[in-house]
Amino acid sequence: MVYGLFLVSGLAVGSLYALGGIGLVILRNSTGVLNFAYGAIAAASAMCAWQVSDWGLPGVISWLSAVAVGMALSVAYGRFIAPSLAWREPAVKAVATLGYMLILLGVIGLIWDDALRKISLPSDTVAVSVLGVRVTLTRIIAFTVSVAVVVGMVQYLNRSRTGLNMRALADNRDHSALLGIPIIKTETLAWGISGALAGFTGLIFGSLVRLEPTVITFMVIPAVAAAICGRLHSLPLTLAGGLLIGVVESMLTLYRPAAGLRSMAPFLIAALVILWMQRGEKLTFAKGA
Amino acid sequence: MKRVTTLLAGAAALCLASFATAAAADGHATASCGLGTGKAATGDAIKVGGINGNAPPGDFSGGTDAAAAYFACVNANGGINGRPIEYIVENDQWNPELAGQVATKLVVDEGVVALVGNGSVVSMAVNAKLYEEQGVMAMASGCAISECYESANIVSTNQGPVPSGIGALKFAIEELGTTSAACIGFNIPNNGGWACDWMNKYMASKGGRGVSILMDPTAVDLNSVYLQAIAEGVDTILLMLPAGPAIGLLKVAEEQGGRDLFKWVSPTPLYEPGVEAVLGDYWANNLYINIELNQFDSTGADNANWAAVMDAYGQDGDRRDTFSQSGYISAKFFVETLLDMEPGSIDRASVTEAIRGISGAQSDLLCGPYYVGDGDSHQPNHAGRMVKFTGTGFELVRDCYELDTAYLEPFFEQEKALGLR
Repeated sequence: MVYGLFLVSGLAVGSLYALGGIGLVILRNSTGVLNFAYGAIAAASAMCAWQVSDWGLPGVISWLSAVAVGMALSVAYGRFIAPSLAWREPAVKAVATLGYMLILLGVIGLIWDDALRKISLPSDTVAVSVLGVRVTLTRIIAFTVSVAVVVGMVQYLNRSRTGLNMRALADNRDHSALLGIPIIKTETLAWGISGALAGFTGLIFGSLVRLEPTVITFMVIPAVAAAICGRLHSLPLTLAGGLLIGVVESMLTLYRPAAGLRSMAPFLIAALVILWMQRGEKLTFAKGA
Repeated sequence: MKRVTTLLAGAAALCLASFATAAAADGHATASCGLGTGKAATGDAIKVGGINGNAPPGDFSGGTDAAAAYFACVNANGGINGRPIEYIVENDQWNPELAGQVATKLVVDEGVVALVGNGSVVSMAVNAKLYEEQGVMAMASGCAISECYESANIVSTNQGPVPSGIGALKFAIEELGTTSAACIGFNIPNNGGWACDWMNKYMASKGGRGVSILMDPTAVDLNSVYLQAIAEGVDTILLMLPAGPAIGLLKVAEEQGGRDLFKWVSPTPLYEPGVEAVLGDYWANNLYINIELNQFDSTGADNANWAAVMDAYGQDGDRRDTFSQSGYISAKFFVETLLDMEPGSIDRASVTEAIRGISGAQSDLLCGPYYVGDGDSHQPNHAGRMVKFTGTGFELVRDCYELDTAYLEPFFEQEKALGLR
């Protein structure tokens, strides 16, 4: 029974990690950029949602504003900064997003002081009991959206024209350009989808975890770990990786000597996956980028 | 950097005085500071420093904000027997390297006579040794790590997590029937680890059981932390956390319908303006908080003057929290100490000696006498009050009470030596 409690709890948190990881993988699959600013975009989106709500506007406008701000911030980077780094190594592209993360975090700190805030969603008050744990509708939405996005994006990438364009871009930007694929348009679309997911993730994080920009910003760490579990490529494996990290983190709580080490779980699992992926190879991430 | 300079003080004095008068006319108390002459100080400035931490993830600037406001008020009212205080505030942004740099700048380059209102736990940990080597005292206002209370040259006006946490547990044992408690804190050795160890010792000393549940400061999975408390089978949860994560944990407990499964107590951090809007009705009458200083709306002379000083001399956006009260009282005791000195003899050595000589200072913000002394550790504020969250605010449920804990025994000895106990 007690294991069931922690399993359900871990799955609920893992779905949040997965949600973050999926947004990262979608972007990397089409642009080759591992976006470390994903968490900061989510944080800015969540703060904007709170601000809109604080102005007294209806909840639905507040939620939509989170998605809109996420898209805007993501597209702004993808449209105006990322193209100038398009020909650089994957590591350079990733480090550049760290700079964007710091800028966003600084701007958030300038706009909103360190006061207590919360985002309340109507779904917070509706819950079902699963193995003794009350699971709110918000958590169910997070889990469902994670699965739905994976299914939807896999279909989209495999079956649609723009999905094909995205995959082509990820494989080889030069060749894609020569083939006449509208690079800027395709990349902007990918940044927009990823940003919308970041906005949604920030909103859910702000409600389920806490509305603290720093905490939401650094949720990118377990999200990256989840993405690594998916080899920065596979959406289903990213979903599985996120859920696994959440469950392992939760289960470690049961073993008191390891309970204090729970925060290591994302890194440990990601490291083990990297070692597994690298067996017999020298490079993991630069390949094909 | 924020400088309250002689010239600024002089130029601002009339404006501030008229603002204060206007505030009084609006029903606010009139700020009362220092000599209360109403004339700006124009002599040689006395340099005083202050270091806060104000960057994500937290703003601990309340202490220096309040000290700056009080010093501005003092400068507008005759200063230190005619000499204004030049208050130089630095923000270390929670960066240990920067904390060392700004402390060196203030203590070595600027040659401040003392530091007042400090509110950076990083700075305190990094610079405790520097202060001792340089013979400068830090009358801090906001601290939560062991170094603040175990250093010869740092004396903090706030209690920190140990006395405040034990105060909450004492109330829980005596009033709520607590027999076992889980201390949920950050997995930081000189913060959560240190404080929760003392909570467990206190519970053991009372024949109860205490367990530590330590979490990463950026932990997302608060649900598991809560479930761990359930698995420990305790009857009380002590939230040894800053307000943000404490509220996150309370939200998880609310999700799980956990209000009635435990008695919920907390040290001071949850006593913060705005917390009622975030917590809502669910926790009404089920959450008890130990407060290190007096209630924000208490009618005591010092508390009223703190509010008046902040109204008249504070800046827009200054925090009005426990650290702010603490910064005010640190600055007030510092000024009272300097006013007893010969103005021409004020230098670091004489100020350090004078601060160490503070004994028996009183304030309605505190429950006991404030003192410094020559000890290698300082904890002048260790008796607090208990409030209950009502859903719309806080209600005092126990006024000042002392603690019986081994942690305080060395400080009780200091107080006996000073004739305060």
